[in-house]
Amino acid sequence: MKAYYGRQLVQAKVNKVPENVISSAAFIGNTCQRCGQNVHGKLPNDHFYCRACLALGRVSSLDVLLSLPEPNDFDGKDILSWTGQLTPQQKVVGDELLETLSRSREHLVWAVTGAGKTEMLFPVIHQALSQKYRVAIVSPRVDVILELAPRLQQAFSQTDMVVLHGAQTETYRYTSLVLATTHQMLRFKEAFDLLIVDEVDSFPYAGDHMLAYAVKNARKINSSVIYLSATPTKVLQQQVKRHSLTTSYLPLRFHQHLLPVLKTAIVGPWRKKLPLKFLRQINQFNQTKRRFLIFVPKVSDLVGVYQNIRKHFPEISGDHVYAGDPKRQEKVQNMRNKKIQYLVTTTILERGVTFPGIDVLILGADEKIFSENALVQIAGRVGRNKDRPTGLVKAYVQHTNFKVIAAQRQIKQMNKRGRQLGGRV
Amino acid sequence: MNCQLCQTNSNHRLSLLQTFNVIKNQKKQLCQTCELTFTLITVGCLGCGRQQKTNQLCHDCYRWQQTGKKLLNHTALYQYNDAMRQFMQQYKFNGDYDLRVIFNRVLNQQINTLNADIIVPIPVSEHTMKTRGFNQTIGLIEGMAYEHLLKVSAGQKSHQSQFNRKIRMMRKQPFSMMKQISLEGKEILLVDDVYTTGNTLYHAAELLYECGAQNVRSISLSR
Ligand SMILES: [Zn+2]
Ligand SMILES: [Zn+2]
Ligand SMILES: [Zn+2]
Repeated sequence: MKAYYGRQLVQAKVNKVPENVISSAAFIGNTCQRCGQNVHGKLPNDHFYCRACLALGRVSSLDVLLSLPEPNDFDGKDILSWTGQLTPQQKVVGDELLETLSRSREHLVWAVTGAGKTEMLFPVIHQALSQKYRVAIVSPRVDVILELAPRLQQAFSQTDMVVLHGAQTETYRYTSLVLATTHQMLRFKEAFDLLIVDEVDSFPYAGDHMLAYAVKNARKINSSVIYLSATPTKVLQQQVKRHSLTTSYLPLRFHQHLLPVLKTAIVGPWRKKLPLKFLRQINQFNQTKRRFLIFVPKVSDLVGVYQNIRKHFPEISGDHVYAGDPKRQEKVQNMRNKKIQYLVTTTILERGVTFPGIDVLILGADEKIFSENALVQIAGRVGRNKDRPTGLVKAYVQHTNFKVIAAQRQIKQMNKRGRQLGGRV
Repeated sequence: MNCQLCQTNSNHRLSLLQTFNVIKNQKKQLCQTCELTFTLITVGCLGCGRQQKTNQLCHDCYRWQQTGKKLLNHTALYQYNDAMRQFMQQYKFNGDYDLRVIFNRVLNQQINTLNADIIVPIPVSEHTMKTRGFNQTIGLIEGMAYEHLLKVSAGQKSHQSQFNRKIRMMRKQPFSMMKQISLEGKEILLVDDVYTTGNTLYHAAELLYECGAQNVRSISLSR
């Protein structure tokens, strides 16, 4: 029975419904009741299936959804086994999150990259578990989930936790603590008293109605939601301005330093010929043995830029990588292990991945692929190390560009808040 | 166009001949990357169509012959490699019926070259129709005229996957005729999605021969 607590699971109408389990229609009108979307594939005999949430296993007009209300069948004896210390700013945010929990509201944590969001969540998660609440932490990105899982399990070593994502082998079981990709929320129904949505701005959550529906559907009617972001979308920012969403700011990184500012340089058509300014910069990296990332707008730019750099600096070892690269993990690992000094990359390394002590160059920062928020995220790759909390972020553009200026302004605003809290350059 | 499998959008350029309508611009279903993951069978065993160096009867087909069966002269289009396994997983088991269009044209073209009198798809059970909602083989040959001559006998699940090979070989006739008809003098072509052991197709052929069929051959998307 526990398998149905707070869940909504698909079963063919022809199969018997287990005793006491509640069965409800898979479609009302044309709308899929699992994902709230209306995108159909046709089946013979006037049947149809939902294409929108197909990746989680098909829901069709031949099916029903099975569920049981969430009973919070937990003992509440959870222990926070994490013994670290929060910085004063993290402590302030941690308290605001406890407030959020007690008021069952929605709250945004606007924290710069490298602020140490995870630790800051521990007190509120612990409080929720002690109240026998069911807690989910979700992110649209599976790599974030995989990175978070061991840290969370370590912090709550006595608590049974299940990790759910598309490629997982672990089978589902009923636990008070759930760590999952946002998609997995489609399998829950009014289950969570506290839902934490990480990287709420990142692909594929932003602007995705289905995932917004999933989160809404998975939380209890009376529940709290905490959104985490380093670069909130315009919609969230407007909500903040209208005070319809309470906000905590965490403008300082864990090492108390400000974000590196985004510098720009105007260059000629760099696809034809790598700019002298750019090559000089690399030469300097070569002299100082500094490790660096070069962001380019398109996959098709990778090889050209990489080979050109090799031609000028055959002595520096590097590589290039993109999302669909079969050797992606290996190349990223080589960069992490310092086997190579640089990587030429597309926006896939814009977030999530951390290489301590690097500098960053962005070619074609004025092109469409680099949004304001993407540029802020890229700048956030730099200065992640306590021993080198700053660094160079340089955007090479052919024209002055509003987006680049907006990104610079966003960083400046965060730094202004950070300076008020005693942040250092 | 968006690739039916990986959803990537590739703007394939029209060749000059296509632009001037010298050759017809056929709608592509797969991007080049996905298309390349499937492997056509170039030379196949005369009996079952499996990829081989020569078209000589393979060991399995030799055994079928020993049991006194008339060989099916099976034709299969693609090797059952990882890509095909994944396609079947998505199409058949995850039930993404839209994917039937991917191989529809090539399969129908191949069927047409075989000049059969009657085309008979392998049926699925009633239970499968109530859960999966479609017959995967009929989906693959959409647009082709076929006859519904066979049905899965009551109490039979048409799912093979759960039995191992030995059990499958020994299973008794899973099919029966929809109605008693005479197939006197007819050339029949059986169609299935995947040829695995041959058991399904040989059982189906046996019934059709009992109804007087002159010859029964078979085809599948994959082997
Ligand atoms: Zn759906
Ligand atoms: Zn494709
Ligand atoms: Zn053979």
